[in-house]
Amino acid sequence: MSDALLQSLLNGIASGGVYALVALGYTLIFSVLGVINFAQGALFSLGGYLTYLLMGGRIGVNGALPGGMLPVAMPFWLALPLAAVLSGLVALVVERIAFAPLRRRQAEPLLSLITSLGAGVVLVNLLQILMGAEGYAFPASALASLPVSLAIGAARIRTLQLLLLLVCALAVLALTLWLDHSRSGRALRAVAEDATTARLLGINSDRMVRLAFWISGVLAGLGGGLIGVSVSLAGPYFGMAFGLKGLAVLVLGGLGSVPGAIAGGLLMGLVEAFVPSALSGWRDAVAFAILFVVLLLRPDGLLGRRAVEKV
Amino acid sequence: MIDHALLVQMLLGALLGLSVYLPLAAGQLSLATPAFYAIGGTLAALVSTRFPQLVGAGTGLNGADAAAFPLHALLLEMLLAGLLCGGLALALGRPVLRLRGIYLAIATIALVEIVRVAILNLPFTGGAVGIFGIPQVFATASGYLLPALGLLLLAGWGLQHLETRPLGLAMAAIRDDELAARCLGIHTLRVKLTAFVLSAVLAGSTGALAAHVFNTWNARQGSFDASVTTLAFVILGGSRTWLGPVFGGLLLTALPELLRPVGDARLVLFGLVILLGPLLVPQGLITPALLERIGRWRWSTGGKP
Repeated sequence: MSDALLQSLLNGIASGGVYALVALGYTLIFSVLGVINFAQGALFSLGGYLTYLLMGGRIGVNGALPGGMLPVAMPFWLALPLAAVLSGLVALVVERIAFAPLRRRQAEPLLSLITSLGAGVVLVNLLQILMGAEGYAFPASALASLPVSLAIGAARIRTLQLLLLLVCALAVLALTLWLDHSRSGRALRAVAEDATTARLLGINSDRMVRLAFWISGVLAGLGGGLIGVSVSLAGPYFGMAFGLKGLAVLVLGGLGSVPGAIAGGLLMGLVEAFVPSALSGWRDAVAFAILFVVLLLRPDGLLGRRAVEKV
Repeated sequence: MIDHALLVQMLLGALLGLSVYLPLAAGQLSLATPAFYAIGGTLAALVSTRFPQLVGAGTGLNGADAAAFPLHALLLEMLLAGLLCGGLALALGRPVLRLRGIYLAIATIALVEIVRVAILNLPFTGGAVGIFGIPQVFATASGYLLPALGLLLLAGWGLQHLETRPLGLAMAAIRDDELAARCLGIHTLRVKLTAFVLSAVLAGSTGALAAHVFNTWNARQGSFDASVTTLAFVILGGSRTWLGPVFGGLLLTALPELLRPVGDARLVLFGLVILLGPLLVPQGLITPALLERIGRWRWSTGGKP
């Protein structure tokens, strides 16, 4: 296998992994509530910025506290999971404000599209006030103890790419194991299958909903931190683009399907990685073009189950 | 506070609100409005800067030449943009409208993104900067009030009539229960398609007008943000009568500008309005019940027959 081919392949799988993380976050919430959380992209941004701050990064000149920083400087391997957990907590706040009131009065699900996007707009603009609109690059020393690249056979692979891949794979593995084998994971799947029956069986469905939001926030935060360290933080809105692509992946894999979200993410990442560089400007449209075509051919997604219309 | 330029933008917002409302009145959550708006604007920007003779505006215009672009050429552009977008919607609508609910919403978001990236990358749309120096029809912004208000009145008149016509009734029936509507012999696909095409025509014409109002046009005009903002016009204004999205469009377009004095916090406040609005007024601000109350009140106080 040639060097460039291997590199593209790895790039594709790595960014595909991040898309899968975002899509899994959507999937979890969709499967228990049947709604989309449009604040996901903002949580992705938040995860990136929190990772940066926890690692001792300084606030830029356009921020609210120019030159300010947290009194901590954690290593990346500690800052990333902590930032993800914090993003998960913010996702809980989003659930409490934008989803719970609507659910309590059984309002039209359409309304939560608007409220969750409102929550996202608030979050992103708070970030903008705090950090300014400028981009941030993580310090080169972020992963100081690791070599920049590794030799695999004849090819050299960026360590960051491998790290991205590893973290995504671990997160996905942990999530599927948890869903399949733990008591709470199975309870969540039961709520997804049939909330009423699950409640009759003594499962606290509100708790499961909050759990789904927390996990989806953690996944988004992880994605944001990973993209931040491997590319950069391109302004508070940078997560929105990933949020949108995650949405494309979600539908590509079939709404509510965990293996579908993973396969869809990898497929999307790979196709994007093999867009020739002369057409790189069109790369952002690829995901949506695929989505559009797939939806027209298979209205329930690639791996989705055909919904039966009940009368 | 509200100057003429903002007033024109508010009217454009009301028009976009109506464009989102049309498919929704037939129960279809389509977020494609910004895509057609962007296409309409791009068409007008290209025609007026490159081929003004196509719409009978004579050659040798440039942006600095205020009030040099004739009104009839603007109206012709709006018509052309409406036709182009209507044609596109007709072609796309048949496969797209087979999708339901959230699938339709996401497919139309995909359409918006594809159009945005295309406008950003096509060789003749000016890339990230866009097309600028779009010739002005009027010397001041207030001139645009007339065509914007005209288009809004035309759309409002049509929608008011629709409420009692077979098409409007069929749309309402599909919104309430698509399966039942089909059992009543309503050709549901044709009705949905008509609403989708009308929505695209309105968005396209609005885009053509907006290109002249803004004097410059780029890919950012039609984005995912616009999809949700225009949907917010309808949800917050009220989605059960056409006056709802008009009111929502006027209000939510003005809001960020009116909030300018609070500086950086204005977008946070705008987000809070979108976040809390549906929680506080789930039916929207303008509801048929409210209109009925206003009607009765006028009857009992001043308005003698």
